[in-house]
Amino acid sequence: MTSKHMGNRVAVIGAGMTRFVRRAQETPGELAAAAVQMALDDAGLTMDDIDSVCLGTAPDAFDGIHMNSENLIAGCGATRKPYLRHYVGGGTGIMSPIHGWMHVASGKFKNCLVVTEEKMSPCSPHPAGAFLSIFDHTTEQPLELTLIHIFSIEMCRFMAKYGYSEEEIAQVSVLCKKNALNHPAAQIAKEITVKDVMDSPVLSWPVKRLDISPTSDAACAIVLSNEHIARTHCKAPVFIDGVGFRLDTAYWNTRDLAFPNYVAMAAADAYRMAGITKPGEEIDVWEPYDPFDYKALHHMNALLQDKSGRQTRELLNSGQFARNGTHPMCPSGGALGVGNPIAATGLMKIAELYFQLSGQAGERQVSKNAHRGIAQAWGDLMQVGTVVVMGSEGAMPNRNTRWTKMKTEDLAGTPLKDASDVRHVEDRPDFRYAWDNGFALTTYLDGLKAGKIRASHCAHCGRMMIPARAFCEVCNLREVTDYYDMPDTGTVKTFTLSNIHWDSSFLPDGKVNIFAVIEIDGAGEDMGLIHKLGEVDPKDVKVDMKVKAVWKPEAERTGNILDCMYFRPMKAGEDKDLKPVRVKPTELDVASGKAFPGKIPLFYRYTAGLAGEKFYGDLAKGKLSGTRCEETGEVYLPPTTFAEDSMARMDPQKDAVEVDSANGMVIGYTAVYEDRSGHPLDEPRVIVQVAYPGTVGSVIGTLDVASPEEAEIGMAVKLVPAGETGPDNVKFKPIK
Amino acid sequence: MNVVVMGVGFCGSFPMSGGVSYRELIARAASMAYADAGIEAWELDGAVSCEEDFVSGYAIADEYVPDQLGVQRKSVYTVPGDFLQGLGSAVMQIQTGQYKMLVVEAYSKASNILSKEEVLRFAFDPIWNRLGVSPKYLAGLEMQQFLAGSGYSEEDVAQIVAMNKERAIGNPLAPFANHLAPSDVLSARPIADPVTEPMVARPADAAIAVVVAAEDVALPKARKPVFISGTGWASGNSVVERRDLAISEATEIAAEMAYKEAGITDPSEELDGVYVSDLFAHRQLMHLDAMRYIDDSFNTVNPDGGSLAMGDLFEANGGARFYDAVQQLRGEAGAHQIKNPKRIGVQAWRGLPTDTCAVVVVDAERRTV
Repeated sequence: MTSKHMGNRVAVIGAGMTRFVRRAQETPGELAAAAVQMALDDAGLTMDDIDSVCLGTAPDAFDGIHMNSENLIAGCGATRKPYLRHYVGGGTGIMSPIHGWMHVASGKFKNCLVVTEEKMSPCSPHPAGAFLSIFDHTTEQPLELTLIHIFSIEMCRFMAKYGYSEEEIAQVSVLCKKNALNHPAAQIAKEITVKDVMDSPVLSWPVKRLDISPTSDAACAIVLSNEHIARTHCKAPVFIDGVGFRLDTAYWNTRDLAFPNYVAMAAADAYRMAGITKPGEEIDVWEPYDPFDYKALHHMNALLQDKSGRQTRELLNSGQFARNGTHPMCPSGGALGVGNPIAATGLMKIAELYFQLSGQAGERQVSKNAHRGIAQAWGDLMQVGTVVVMGSEGAMPNRNTRWTKMKTEDLAGTPLKDASDVRHVEDRPDFRYAWDNGFALTTYLDGLKAGKIRASHCAHCGRMMIPARAFCEVCNLREVTDYYDMPDTGTVKTFTLSNIHWDSSFLPDGKVNIFAVIEIDGAGEDMGLIHKLGEVDPKDVKVDMKVKAVWKPEAERTGNILDCMYFRPMKAGEDKDLKPVRVKPTELDVASGKAFPGKIPLFYRYTAGLAGEKFYGDLAKGKLSGTRCEETGEVYLPPTTFAEDSMARMDPQKDAVEVDSANGMVIGYTAVYEDRSGHPLDEPRVIVQVAYPGTVGSVIGTLDVASPEEAEIGMAVKLVPAGETGPDNVKFKPIK
Repeated sequence: MNVVVMGVGFCGSFPMSGGVSYRELIARAASMAYADAGIEAWELDGAVSCEEDFVSGYAIADEYVPDQLGVQRKSVYTVPGDFLQGLGSAVMQIQTGQYKMLVVEAYSKASNILSKEEVLRFAFDPIWNRLGVSPKYLAGLEMQQFLAGSGYSEEDVAQIVAMNKERAIGNPLAPFANHLAPSDVLSARPIADPVTEPMVARPADAAIAVVVAAEDVALPKARKPVFISGTGWASGNSVVERRDLAISEATEIAAEMAYKEAGITDPSEELDGVYVSDLFAHRQLMHLDAMRYIDDSFNTVNPDGGSLAMGDLFEANGGARFYDAVQQLRGEAGAHQIKNPKRIGVQAWRGLPTDTCAVVVVDAERRTV
């Protein structure tokens, strides 16, 4: 950070979004396109005005598409445009306007269309399962953790440090769900009580069902412009006054989870740019990230730059976070009320600041005369904070815009109960890996096999690091050469009593997994690891209790974190001679240097979308139709809900134009000699690209011929009727 | 504002890199880049990492970026794209005036992915394009239409394979350099007609780290600065059925964007060399057309041997080319040094199923446009 003052000013001049729903019929691209169309209308611009596009979408494991940004090009309106994706896990939604701001503030582009999309529902058995592989593949994933576990662990630490009761925290959930009653996109808006939250099922103590935001499908888009364009096109532009983003270490067991320093640092960056010195007094509207109710408070401490936590607690308990309060918080309804399609949630919060600061929030408009607002997101492995401060010349009164009167039915997004209610495709990918351990982790895993917790020691900063690493991440990557066997004892820093598996399904009745972050003796403050606790009644587990590792018998140990079965309460006399012992690290050769195996055990259920519904519905009847674009008169094949260049809206049903399915012509073909996994096929399969007269586009499928030699350019083919949905069912036959 | 390359670091390429974890691989490249730039990690304002989740094996690969770059608690984000796209993003970030010095990083641990074809297949649209055959079917369709549209022959494509592998014999970083006759390329095992096995770059492991900074910060410290005078990136239609498979429209747009910034009107005259993606050999010719770069001898095209010799490094592909371009401009490329280059264009393609490309123009000396 170098300057107090922003150079080229950048403003939000339009916003669009779909409904937030648990499961949408639309494909990711169709959702994105709907949000883009609305944002362009709102900004009064066309695609011709857009000279850059950026996309925020969180893990590809949700949408179920590798290189998801590439699949979303058309939906984002990015065809033949400069287009970049940015990504910081759960913090992505606020990174999106920051990345868009870079595009315009650099002077390289005049306008940037910022799109966010998340379709979490394809991820099965449950979207939460995607979080299994956010943990270190070698040192943590074998414990089968999920995101709720670490949220619970962080919430427990937050409560232990700041003294909150669960009932106090539940007020946030009550507030957000109530606020969301006025939001047209809201998924789970409801009038609930603190008691409702307390009585909801405990997933992983202290987290209960109603402490958590839902999984969602949605898209959101905004248009960012330079000041000249903003003043020309927009009655009340809202400017980005400051941005900040900070990413902490992935070694999350090395820091106190009670306070998110990275969020505070990101906020400080944004305040410096915006010239804010007293955020508590200078900011009128607050949109902290609230995937869980305690998170909003955890983040408010950081946004208020207040490690004491007093201001946040006083504001909460005095009701000042309400829309008519002094510090209105999540007036949108937040992730807890509107829903949490990760990246789209963050941008929804930016859209809310745009509405609030320009006087377009309608029934949600805060009582204060709002000039300045802040939105924030958080994510990765509890390590990233993204912050945007926005400012206007005040919320204009008595505005009557599309957004002041927006109704749910005005928004795109078709809610489904289940993917099987519509045409859909299932896919079980085979993702297998083996990660090279390298020098340091080989030594660490060999330690586990020997029944030891092995650390490496940086001679420069003096830290004893667990797990052992080959270089020190805080000392300019200086080599670390000293390895130690640590005591297998430590102190519980925080814990959760979990009733759920990694995929969010419940454990058998009465079974509780206790996960704890344990500070290992001799390793220095906060340096430790996560593991299970055993030989203890869940109600007897306390922060600061002393524990000792229980190991598998030597013959059963393999060099895995599960070689330690669990930690149990330390017994009297076990706290003696707890000193690290220097050891020789493992000498690497082809026998000792192993790779740690892993896989991603997910499967996917993709809805065919509005266009796919039409195409495969027709295919079952042996028919084929394209979609006519009203603007150009062109017929798009395969069907679509939008034209990729202009983003003009199209309806695959209403705008359908029947095409003669027997009038196809091969414009490209290839004989393929390998199967989907790269294994040789017994017989090659011929894939063809087939065009139809009077249409823009083509259909790709399999040509039913005895030999590849029969295929040729210009060959006349007809589509073969098929009842099943999916590209493997698209087949053509030659017409003699 | 001029943005300057202060230092570069590269570790690779290796067909496998057992014994070195991905963190250790990246830290090695980063240490080299920082030493080359004359800085320590704490001086950086942040980092841009270029990686994709299913390649890394993590659901959120961004988490594991900061430590091996020594930039924890700095302004760090991931651009899931090619290194050159991340570089373009970093240049923009510096041009906002709010950030002075960044590291851009990309890596490949392709050898750690045991089901690479499945990962590639998963990049295809599940409703329209995931067929029960190798996803390389799209390369077959593309090469056929490119040859038909451009007038190049299969022999021309085979010649590219042979040439790139041959010239890299003098490049110590290229594990797949070798002697190979074009006729052997044509008669090799078919993958998806007319694509044969040697026309496809083989996966490899490597890491690249590059320190870029605003000129005022960079010049007093950098050992041998190189100047970024143009950046461009673009994407062709993701709807494959409506994309012209015979050309790389994205490269055309990205190149024009970078050329305009660099003040280039006749690239064949004004550039002393280019690097273009040859992940599939026909793509080298397609990209050269789109870059408007003609060198009938090909001597100034991919002097490092390209991906066919250096391996498919996934998101680090453009990084490997960029590293070599910097070495060439500094006159430090060794046996495959081209003669006295002053200005080089580097292009990258994201591979199947995309037509997403980026182009960067780099100069040995400072130029004012």
